[in-house]
Amino acid sequence: MKAVSVSSSAVSNAMRYSQTRMQVDLVKAQKELDSGKVADIGLTLGANTSQSVNFHRDLDRLNSIVDSNALVSSRLKSTQDALGQIVSAAQSLLSSMTVASSGDMPDSVAAESGRSALQSLTSMLNASLNGEYLFAGTNTDVRPINDYSAASSPAKAAFDAAFLARFGFAQNDPAAANISAADMDDFLTNDVTPQFMGAGWQANWSNATDQQIVSRIALNETTGTSVSANQEGLRKIAMAAAIVTEAFSGNLSSAAKNAAAAKALALAGEAISDLGQLQSQTGIVQNRVSAASERINTQVDLFERHIIDLEGVDPYEAANRVNDLMSHIQTSFALTARIQQLSLLNYLT
Amino acid sequence: MSLSSALSIAQSALLTTSRQTSVVTRNVSDASNPDYSRRIATVVSTAPGARSVDIQRATNAQLFRQNLAALSAWSGQSTLSSGLDRLQIAVNGVDNATSASTAIGNLQNALQLYATSPSNQNLGASVVETARQAVRSLNEGTTAIQAFRTDMDSQISNAVGQLNDLLVQFEGANKAIISGTRSGTDVSDALDKRDALLKKIAEYVPISTYTRGDNDMVVTTADGTMLFETVPRSVSFTPSPGYGPTTTGATVYIDNVPISSGSGGNSEATGKLAGFLQLRDGVASTMQNQLDEIARGLIDAFAEKAPPLADMAGLFTWQGGPAVPTTLEPGLAGTIRINAAVDPSQGGNVNLVRDGGINGAGYVKNTTGGASYSELLIGYGDRLDTPMTFSPAAGIAATSSVTSFSSNAIGWFESIRQQATTLADTKEALASRSAEALSNETGVNVDMEMSLMLDLEHTYQASARLMSTIDQMLNALLEAV
Repeated sequence: MKAVSVSSSAVSNAMRYSQTRMQVDLVKAQKELDSGKVADIGLTLGANTSQSVNFHRDLDRLNSIVDSNALVSSRLKSTQDALGQIVSAAQSLLSSMTVASSGDMPDSVAAESGRSALQSLTSMLNASLNGEYLFAGTNTDVRPINDYSAASSPAKAAFDAAFLARFGFAQNDPAAANISAADMDDFLTNDVTPQFMGAGWQANWSNATDQQIVSRIALNETTGTSVSANQEGLRKIAMAAAIVTEAFSGNLSSAAKNAAAAKALALAGEAISDLGQLQSQTGIVQNRVSAASERINTQVDLFERHIIDLEGVDPYEAANRVNDLMSHIQTSFALTARIQQLSLLNYLT
Repeated sequence: MSLSSALSIAQSALLTTSRQTSVVTRNVSDASNPDYSRRIATVVSTAPGARSVDIQRATNAQLFRQNLAALSAWSGQSTLSSGLDRLQIAVNGVDNATSASTAIGNLQNALQLYATSPSNQNLGASVVETARQAVRSLNEGTTAIQAFRTDMDSQISNAVGQLNDLLVQFEGANKAIISGTRSGTDVSDALDKRDALLKKIAEYVPISTYTRGDNDMVVTTADGTMLFETVPRSVSFTPSPGYGPTTTGATVYIDNVPISSGSGGNSEATGKLAGFLQLRDGVASTMQNQLDEIARGLIDAFAEKAPPLADMAGLFTWQGGPAVPTTLEPGLAGTIRINAAVDPSQGGNVNLVRDGGINGAGYVKNTTGGASYSELLIGYGDRLDTPMTFSPAAGIAATSSVTSFSSNAIGWFESIRQQATTLADTKEALASRSAEALSNETGVNVDMEMSLMLDLEHTYQASARLMSTIDQMLNALLEAV
């Protein structure tokens, strides 16, 4: 009897399902407009969510490496500064020794130049940053260099003992004036050198380790980022300064003093070239660190762009969607109200 | 023919009209009841002039079956989808903030900072703190998953109870229909009730039905297990009081046949029961396995290794420590903890993380004792990124680093959730469309009924007019006599 049928409840509920769907979508679109990201990353990306999670984690990680590289850079910069000052101390020792070896300098001035070189070396090597001694190798919570001028200095004691053992009297003994240049040279080469270049250095002078601090400067790149006080150049400059201090404060003959000055001169010269090498090595590491940071920053940019590609929404599109949905919802409200009025009952009296 | 026979025909017309009116009234009053099927009053002529009203009920068996299937599919899928939403928030948190993956990322960052200034004890303590976050994420994830499984279990128990109730009600309705059909009375109301019950049952389990003589209905599940035949079959389930990672949940038996649960995001789980089972045994268990494997990966990455000595648990340890677990340990994520030897809040020494030696002097790596020894810390960071072999029971690529494993776990979960949610929308649309189609076919259109009412009014008026005319004619005759 009736080919097409529609029930009253179907008519009045027709809009209900799409109405709720649109409202759910509206909430999502508002969120997206607000945050610039998709409302629910998991639902939008599905299995690709792991990519987004990885990107976020790597991004954090790269940023933390950039931060830690800044710390490493400041350590290297301080090291570089200290090395520069040690080089200038070595140079002034070198020039005063040049004068002293020609005999134009009073002993006390020469001895003082040795002492001051030693002092600035000690204070530079004991420099610290953030509570870490720069030149201590990995042993950064212990002062790397013992003070030679301190009363209880083991290095001083070792030097004095070696002198006494070799010649039978102390440096300031009047008999010291009889030491020949050859004896002096022999003493410096065979007795004093092991105290600096051999086991005596670690025993009396240095608390530093040879091991460097190793740092990760990029995701897959690690490098040594500290200079140890045990480097040869630093030992040589310490030795030169100690020889000068000792030779010019005793009662040595001028021939012996000249031999000591010549030795100190040679050592200081070698030390300066060694230090130059050390400075350039440090510079290379500095460069590596800053290059790594730069590279990481490029990566960070790239990752951020990837993340936006994955999670971002076009704000204009989102805004349009909100507007569309609102007008749709309004239309369907209006329709629902009109349909409710549409009833035969209104025309029956 | 006589005036009196004309009178009795008019009388019967009045009776017919009033019965039709009562059907129209009934239709209008139930217009908004979705379970009501429109009644059609058909007038049948019997003897000349005599008529009776036969009441029929609008039905469309095919649409009804389709609606039942759509309802089952939708209710299973939406159970799965909303369960997954809950799990996501409970385990991974909003924007994955409490996920193991995020915690491991933080741990890596803390390690990087500590490795840059290893002499700074505060940074060491912050490594231990971020490690504690990772432990908390795993511990709380385990608790959340097991609480979720316990909840699913009690939901299954409730659903089974309700299903049994529905089957008992179904028996009542079915009996009324059989006896009504035998005695030839109008059973439309009972049929409405029975159809409504079928819709409710279909939300729990997918069903198929067939009707025997006397309108007796037999209900089976979609895979053929008998649910109702003359009497309801029992649906049985033994709930477990509390779930741990090693608890295996009981299954649901219908007529002593276990029902199958769904699997995958596009769940074949139809009906709530299968959805609950899939959540409890499938998704939640796999997630637990994943957390356990992440925990194992962490213990392994931070294990102290000093061959020929055996590997020993380092920063992270567990119930079976200090040995390092080598295979999937059910419940490991619940028992993983920070090694007390390095935990400052338990009197431990943070420096052991930097120097090694948590398990004794044989494991010390920083033999010179330098405060800025960083190699071990850098090594830990590298090991977090070194591939290892994970159990296939975790459902993700077997060989990967623990960091990518933890993010893959999120990817795995979200892919299921995405599929489940999209399909829940689709299946909801199907269910609502098929309900609409069914309603169009069997529901009431008030306008239609009202226009019918106008017809009936006219018929009634005409019949009444006839009676009064015949009355006048009889009066005229009597007066003439």
